[in-house]
This record gives sequence, structure tokens and C-alpha cells, in this order.
Amino acid sequence: MIKAKPKPIPEIQNYIESFDKILIAGCGGCVSVCLAGGQKEVNILKTELELAFSKTNTKKEIAGYTVERQCNSGLIEELDAIVTHYDCIISIACGAGIQHLAERYPAIPVLPGVNTIAIGVDLDIGLYEERCRACGECVLAYTAGICPVTRCAKGIFNGPCGGTNGENCEVSDAIDCAWLLIYNRLKEQNRLEDILKIQPPMEWKNTIKRTIVQKGYENRYIEK
Amino acid sequence: MSDNKNNNGKIDTRTIQSILKENKKQIKLGLTMCAHCSLCAESCFLYMSRDLDPEYMPSYKFLHSIGKLYKKKGKVSAGQLEKMRDLVFCNCVLCTRCYCPFGIDIPSLITLGRRVCRSQGLFREYDKA
Repeated sequence: MIKAKPKPIPEIQNYIESFDKILIAGCGGCVSVCLAGGQKEVNILKTELELAFSKTNTKKEIAGYTVERQCNSGLIEELDAIVTHYDCIISIACGAGIQHLAERYPAIPVLPGVNTIAIGVDLDIGLYEERCRACGECVLAYTAGICPVTRCAKGIFNGPCGGTNGENCEVSDAIDCAWLLIYNRLKEQNRLEDILKIQPPMEWKNTIKRTIVQKGYENRYIEK
Repeated sequence: MSDNKNNNGKIDTRTIQSILKENKKQIKLGLTMCAHCSLCAESCFLYMSRDLDPEYMPSYKFLHSIGKLYKKKGKVSAGQLEKMRDLVFCNCVLCTRCYCPFGIDIPSLITLGRRVCRSQGLFREYDKA
């Protein structure tokens, strides 16, 4: 799922300084699971901001409201009747949710309350690790289920690069060499020949906005 | 506006009633149209992967949450609402893929159940085991 981390309070305070009525919009999806943007975090952020502004005797009206998912048009509809009362919205959904709100309410500034970090796995409660950068050109079949885009500092499709420092990446001793991990696992699976299969260069499709039309839905969404 | 709040176990019936009133038409239509045909069941991947447990049937989930709240005119105890919270948050991921041959918008009704729970400070807490 998508993983996010709350922004520091002073940064948020800075954004909202000029607004009097502030709505914090939470999301019941991925950011709830990673404890960054659900209803509980809405309540925490509200309290923290109220406390921060009370120190400077600044009066602000701050309210919170959590919808089930900010990335779904039908599920943000219930905010329509609420947002008109506020000068700005702090969305603590992922970047997609924040932009979705900003598109729906173009007259109201929608500001981020979290930093969206990654698509990752849950290692434990409150502990997550990145696994995917949504590059759109998955090569995991040839790399023993280890993503070279996410885990190699250079993101190279055909490795290793030659900068391997023992078992680690030349960038830092704290980073495993992804291509050594790939080599070891492929060897364990007795399919080392896969490492020799040259992958065509990455097109870096994730540098522009992509639209996903699932198989079977082409007739509905794509004009012929 | 029904702010998401924490009522420390107290139920604010007025807020629940105002959500029910605001969405009366949709809830009533869903309750009237549901023929208990159970055709929605197989469209739910959770139902299919939980040994066809009837508590995962989409119709069960909306009838025993927002449906029950409507029939009880919003007068429910904290315990009853907690059970509904577990039903709408834990038995449903709101993938919106459930299908009703009569056209009942089941995900919207489950969302309403969640909205009522949220209005009373009840939601799924992912940091609790």
C-alpha cells in the first residue's frame, strides 16, 4: 500500500497562517493503515495545531473530517456540503488524494499535511519499507522478485554496476547491493541465466501522468 | 456538519439521526429493494475467501449496519454501534465491486454505515492488534 509520513507541525503552520477556518480532511484508505492520515491522525493533528496556535494567541477554527477514500470521486462527495464553510483544507491523504480534492474544490486551497513516501510493505505496526516505485515496466520476473528500480541506488535494469563495495552499495554501507541480492536469490532458485537476459532500457513512464485502462474496458474509455 | 469526534463511549443520537434523515431516501430504497436473493454474495472477494461466511455478504453488511440504524431510528447503544463498526470496517474493504441485480448501491450504503460510526468516534484502528 501507499505509505506516507506526517509533515512537521511548523511547516503546516506556515501554510495555514493566513487562513482562519481550516478543515483537516482524513482518508480511510492506505494512509489510515500506515498511521499517517486516518481519523485518529486527523484528531491528533487538530489538537497539535490548536496547541501550536494557542502559544501565539492566534485564533483559528480548526475542524476534522474523514472520508473513506480521497482517491474515489463517489467517496469524497460528502465533503461538498462541508468544505464551503472553510478557507482552506489540509488533506492528510496521499498525493493522489490531495490532488483529487484540489481538482474537486478548485476555489479552495488544498494543502498537504503529509509527505507521500512510497509503495511499501508493513514490517510491523508503524514500520514500513519501500518496495515499488510504480515504474510501469516490472522486471521482477527476471530479478528474483527483487526490484532493481527501488532497491538499487542507480535503479539500473541490467546490473550490477561495478561499484559494489563488498556486499554493499558504493553509495552507503547501510544499503545492500540490490544486484548481489538478485544474484544470490537467482542462484538459490537455480535460474542464474536470468541475470544475463538484457532488459531494454527503462522508458521512465512514471515521469509523466499515466492513465490506466484495464483490459476489457478499452471500448468504454478509448475512442477509436 | 457532523465533525469526526471521539465521544468516549457516549452515543450522540441526534447526529446519527441527522445523517439518517439526510440520506433517508437512499436507505429506504435499499431496504425496500433488497430481495435477500444473495446474488451479491459472490461478487464479494472477502465472502468467497472466507469460506462463504454469510457475515461477509454485501447485503448482510448494509442490512446489519445502516439498515439496522434506520430501523432503530438511530437509537443504538455503544455496544451495538461497536459491533456495526467491526462489520463495516473489518468485513468490508470498500472495493466497491459488489453487484446487486436490482441496482442497489451497496458500497454507498456501507459507506453511510461507516460515516455514522466515524461521527461517533468509532473507526478501525490499525495500531491495535
